[in-house]
Amino acid sequence: MTESTSPGEAEYAAGRLIYKGAEADIVRGQWQGLDAVFKVRKPLSYRLKIMDDAIRRQRTIHEADMIHSAREAGVASPHLFYVDIPAATLVMEYVDGQRVKDIVGSAPRRVVEAIFGEFGRSVAMLHSAGIMHGDLTTANVVKRGGELVFIDFGLSLRTTRLEDHAVDLRLIKETLVGAHSQIAPYALDALLGGYAKGVGPARSRAALKQLQNIERRGRYARVA
Amino acid sequence: MERYVLGIESTAHTFSVSVVSSGGKILSNSKSVYKPPEGSGIHPFEASQNHLAAASGVLGDAVRGSGLSLNDISAVAYAMGPGLGPCLRVGAVVARTLASSLGLPLVPVNHAVGHIELGCLLTGARDPVVLLVSGGHTMVIAYSGTRWRVLGESLDLTLGQLLDQFGRHHGLASPCGATIEEAASKSSNYLKLPYTVKGNDVSFSGMLTAAKLLLDGGRPFADVSYSIQETAFAMVTEVTERALAFTGKNEVMIVGGVAANKRLAGMMTDMARRHSATVTFTPLAYSGDCGAQIAWTGWLAHKCGIEVAVDRSDVLQSWRLDRVDIPWRS
Repeated sequence: MTESTSPGEAEYAAGRLIYKGAEADIVRGQWQGLDAVFKVRKPLSYRLKIMDDAIRRQRTIHEADMIHSAREAGVASPHLFYVDIPAATLVMEYVDGQRVKDIVGSAPRRVVEAIFGEFGRSVAMLHSAGIMHGDLTTANVVKRGGELVFIDFGLSLRTTRLEDHAVDLRLIKETLVGAHSQIAPYALDALLGGYAKGVGPARSRAALKQLQNIERRGRYARVA
Repeated sequence: MERYVLGIESTAHTFSVSVVSSGGKILSNSKSVYKPPEGSGIHPFEASQNHLAAASGVLGDAVRGSGLSLNDISAVAYAMGPGLGPCLRVGAVVARTLASSLGLPLVPVNHAVGHIELGCLLTGARDPVVLLVSGGHTMVIAYSGTRWRVLGESLDLTLGQLLDQFGRHHGLASPCGATIEEAASKSSNYLKLPYTVKGNDVSFSGMLTAAKLLLDGGRPFADVSYSIQETAFAMVTEVTERALAFTGKNEVMIVGGVAANKRLAGMMTDMARRHSATVTFTPLAYSGDCGAQIAWTGWLAHKCGIEVAVDRSDVLQSWRLDRVDIPWRS
């Protein structure tokens, strides 16, 4: 690519770092007068450059594509403003809300169940559209008013394989049990209930069975 | 008053006995390691035969080495699991025998929890995100709500298995990590291998197949070793980084046999710096399987009243660490 600066660079430089993730820095700022976030996949020096450049650029292009596809499937995701491939940067709408991770700890059971029921329905819509999110932790779902907005499609895949969909469910389960152990039992039930409503009972049963198979494949698995 | 716990490790290739004090001093740590023939892995029965033959000598060394007598011991801890059944049973028999004949409490210890707790003792880590990498485990772990929780893990092979099975394909004897590290240090020719991160989890089975094919296709062992290390270590570093960012903790600790690898250590140090987190490594002598991990964790459990009756002291081959309550941390 050429050395010319990217259209978003000046705005990005003026922005404020709001989150330093594992994969990317999230910078909040203005883009063409719009309230925006810049998701910048910074080079990771522990990876070989040849491997790192390819992974960052490929994930950037892919994520842009998937964010758009999610909305087509009826699941809220941020609006994209600009995709800067050489800089591995996405410029998108700022989602003004709270991460599910930050609200479920103190919310009453009824609210938690409502959120996870909706969470499950949204995942079902993604899966029915052939989209695996790939990183369904509670940090990647933002509650904005009455809707859940799914962010971070960096590890998503276009797939209808039962296995891949079950891997999605497995990560939610792992996050709930690992990071929200107090609410895990009923949150998971609510999520799977919403999921079953979305994909239908047969597909839901098959996905759960596959989830168990995956867990059995893991080390020292003893599936309840 | 100082108290002393004797711990017995026998989950896989290592039979080891250690005596530690309640103050966290390791008084002895004797071991016998089963070495499989070149090109093959651990045969559980063969390993258990090694342990049976070695048990009495290792026990004697550990007691003598501690400068104490068996009468000074307050409790006997053993690795109840997870691990290879025949190997676990040898340690359990020795532990039961000691506990019954000396009239001491018998304390069951989870081997993986043992790696973590000994690591914390030796490195001073207080509340770390733990990368446990060995022949038996590849897990990213953090403490939360009464237990050590698994935040990410391998969906198939462990990192140790990846290295060992690749090494054995080349005709080496397990464990192959050191030889692969040595070979990798002589190459900088990266051959593309599958980089498989699924959420917080990793998968190595495709990489193993691809690496074997590269070897079979005539690529130099050094180049493939280098490429495996670069790819596999970057994957586990990435998922550890994700767990660090997710939990907001500021310590990273690496334990298990593969913790000895310098390239992995370099990547983890680099990653931790990005997050202003400290990074610690279990000292080489204690990063692999050893009695001290069982003895020290045995003491922590013993002081919380955890014990098991001799007639109920089974072994649990598939005992996941996230099923173990950790009262000494809550």
